[in-house]
Amino acid sequence: MNPTSNLLARYLQAIGEHLPAATRDDMLAELRANLQAQLDDRAEELNRPLTDPEVAAILKEHGRPILVAARYLPQQYLIGPAIFPYYLMTLRKAAPFALLIIFLANCSNLLFIHTFPELIAGILRALGLLIPDLIMFAAWLTGAFVIAEYVYTRNHAKPFNASWDPTKLPAIKPQFKGKSRASRIADLIFHCFWIIYILEIPSHHFLILGPSELYLRRLAITFAPIWHTYYVFLLVLLAVQLVTKILALNPTFDRLQSTFDLVTKLVGVASTAFLAAMKTYFVASGPAANQATLAAVNHGIGIAFRIVLILTVIDLFVEAWKLFRPSLRSKGLAF
Amino acid sequence: MSATSNPSPDPQIFDSLRLELRRGCLIVAVLAQLRAEHYGYTLRKALADQGLAIEESTLYPLLRRLETQKLLTSQWREEDKRNKRFYKLSPEGELILAQLLAEWNSINDSVNTILQHSDQR
Repeated sequence: MNPTSNLLARYLQAIGEHLPAATRDDMLAELRANLQAQLDDRAEELNRPLTDPEVAAILKEHGRPILVAARYLPQQYLIGPAIFPYYLMTLRKAAPFALLIIFLANCSNLLFIHTFPELIAGILRALGLLIPDLIMFAAWLTGAFVIAEYVYTRNHAKPFNASWDPTKLPAIKPQFKGKSRASRIADLIFHCFWIIYILEIPSHHFLILGPSELYLRRLAITFAPIWHTYYVFLLVLLAVQLVTKILALNPTFDRLQSTFDLVTKLVGVASTAFLAAMKTYFVASGPAANQATLAAVNHGIGIAFRIVLILTVIDLFVEAWKLFRPSLRSKGLAF
Repeated sequence: MSATSNPSPDPQIFDSLRLELRRGCLIVAVLAQLRAEHYGYTLRKALADQGLAIEESTLYPLLRRLETQKLLTSQWREEDKRNKRFYKLSPEGELILAQLLAEWNSINDSVNTILQHSDQR
């Protein structure tokens, strides 16, 4: 076997590995005839037999075997252009809900955690599981659409287009114009009243407990010392919010408003996490206190704070997503 | 005063648009060229000689696809002591080619009219 036919035979064999058995021999015979004619032409031009590198150069120009074979096959895709827009739309719409459900499911064991470090570790673990779980969700969804594509192409169906009606398109969305100056001033005034209210709570417990203050007094139950620490934390948070609300009156700080809101929410999450990790919210103020009732009240409040913590973490992520989405989108990292 | 220069177009964009523009034209050219019988290699040479170079890896599968669509007929025959598959335009292919050429001329006329109007502005 001369070098030309040896290289050509190897090339054709490599192509043949990727062709369907039913038509392989016919396709390869035709390809051999065409390539052989090209090689003969070149040899005739040079007036001598072709060397191995010259044959290799012609075959290389013809293309990599797997790609040459692919061109003889019908176009193949897992999700074709008719189905793909629906796949992308479903992925976009369902991903936030999937994230929420996955996060809530991963957070369910937080209700049974008793220490602050365990609580933080539990939240971090729940966040860490988001990415692999989301990939799994996307894989299942993709699998479902691959099946839809298979059914669609097999039946030559037009599944989604027939029911489309232009008159059922959603109404035009109003453009977001941000908060007016009047609403920002009102917000600031309300916040000042809110601070005054909070400042009055230590000397007037009924402001937060209402009529139940009398009930707690009768049960000989009062606030635990933890609330004193939290109270300082709360005042710092309110002061930070006050500064941001004053800054928000100046239009030059418009762009920073979302960042301010996000920082405030972050501090809010930290303070809720602090409360959620505590075990004792109320203590006995006298010997008449019923220890069983006290334990039940503390346990109930602890669970409530953990639920609030999960919700505030979700809210924080939603806000962060809204804030960073435009810049991620411009970099092609978000849809 | 700084001189403003036109930004140079992205060659990749041009290549991609050129490919799209050529795709339909190549089919018309192949059908027209196969009014006379050819096998793959000589068809490619004939097209290249007339200024329409086409890659083998594009042309040979295209011939098979056009044959599947019944626009071409083919037969194996010996030439120069080698078996080769010769292609020719089928009667159905003739009709389709005529329709494609009418469409081609119509597009050509429209584009020329648009260009003339835009030149006058």
